[in-house]
Amino acid sequence: MSRESRAYRTEGIVLRRRNIGEADSIFVVFGEERGKFEGVARGIRKARSRMRGHLEPLTFSRFLMARGRNLDVFTQAETVRSFPNVAADLDRWATASYLLELVDRFTVEHAPNRDLFHLLYASLESLDGGSAADLVPRYFELHVLALTGFDVYLDGCAACGGRLPPENTLVAAAAGGLVCRQCRPEAGTGRLLSVPAIKVLRHARRASLPEFVALRVPGAVVEELRAALGDFVRYHLERELGTARFVEELRASGSITAQNADT
Amino acid sequence: MSGSGGTPEPIARLVEQFHRLPGIGPKSAQRLAYHILRVGDDEAQALANAVLEVKRRIRLCSVCCYITEHDPCNYCSDERRDRSVVCVVEQALDISAIERSGGYRGLYHVLHGVLNPMDGVGPEDLRFRELLARVQDGGVQEVIMATNPSLEGEATAMYAAKLLGPLGVRVTRLARGLPSGADLEYADDVTLLRALEGRQAV
Repeated sequence: MSRESRAYRTEGIVLRRRNIGEADSIFVVFGEERGKFEGVARGIRKARSRMRGHLEPLTFSRFLMARGRNLDVFTQAETVRSFPNVAADLDRWATASYLLELVDRFTVEHAPNRDLFHLLYASLESLDGGSAADLVPRYFELHVLALTGFDVYLDGCAACGGRLPPENTLVAAAAGGLVCRQCRPEAGTGRLLSVPAIKVLRHARRASLPEFVALRVPGAVVEELRAALGDFVRYHLERELGTARFVEELRASGSITAQNADT
Repeated sequence: MSGSGGTPEPIARLVEQFHRLPGIGPKSAQRLAYHILRVGDDEAQALANAVLEVKRRIRLCSVCCYITEHDPCNYCSDERRDRSVVCVVEQALDISAIERSGGYRGLYHVLHGVLNPMDGVGPEDLRFRELLARVQDGGVQEVIMATNPSLEGEATAMYAAKLLGPLGVRVTRLARGLPSGADLEYADDVTLLRALEGRQAV
């Protein structure tokens, strides 16, 4: 390895931290250029660490890294963008943690996915700007599925390709999307989506995030989408996400404000 | 079954046990195991006893969840302490840090962790139920959230405020700002902002 390549610059959004040893932490970062990568930060848990605060989950930072034998080492870090309003609100923080975990679970290391990076950045920005905390994650789920190869098919029957009449329609994760009446027996488990819910989903596919979160969606419809998209996430990840459970707990304890109440 | 590379099984087993301890790598584990091999019988016995004693005699205080030999713990049973204030910390070790500062004479509560949904730690995994019960019992006027100023620590503090707020108790947070000996140029925006907000007359 040549001398010049020992250190390099990069940037990304910090997804998670894992503490090791006395004062070190390993951070998982998702960057536009490099995709997901890990690095170790030495002494970061000491109060006088200069990187502390710049290397925290939920910050977009610029790093100077040094190649290490096993793990690369963070040698300098500087915050480019933090999301203070997300960090200062329990519901938004929980939702943002869910988005970070989705990215962590749906990606493999060293595989850049620029669109996904932009989606994550825009979603955190949107949450920070006060958008509906229950619409942002729905948009994110639909698009993270699409961007990682698990697109939800909405334009016809996912099994036979046939046209779908405007009626309550089955959506099944195993089939990969909406399923017509004839194909239902082979589609596996799923749930029925109402016509408004299907329309909102189709809109989410085409619209930009700001356009989508400006939408006024009735609570019952958001609830349908949450359940359906949650099915897809669980089906493809084959697990229940800890952050999803936490968001759910907060919601159950009546903390998530009524939809769009703060816009 | 003999250990790897002809290491006698008891030594391999001891190495394995040391290796499980936090911060002990394979080499350190070997060094410790071979050290034990060299020390006298009574020294080894003393170590074994100390490990067993700690498991046998130490439990969590039924009031504050601090590690203790007597229930309630020394802090909870100390009559000179202010019973209207409860300082909530992440782990038992944090109490020693606060005690060392010498500036606090109230009671404590140990959560044994912080909210970290990414790693599957939710409110039910922490000692919030016990904290809620203490506040509900009355007498507590202020709860000081002394969790670390990390994202997870902040969220835990917010959760506590949400949980205890309706009970009419005052929930406060340790101040955030620049640590002594710090360099301004290396401070992150959030810390600087908090330091500015919390500025005081010289």
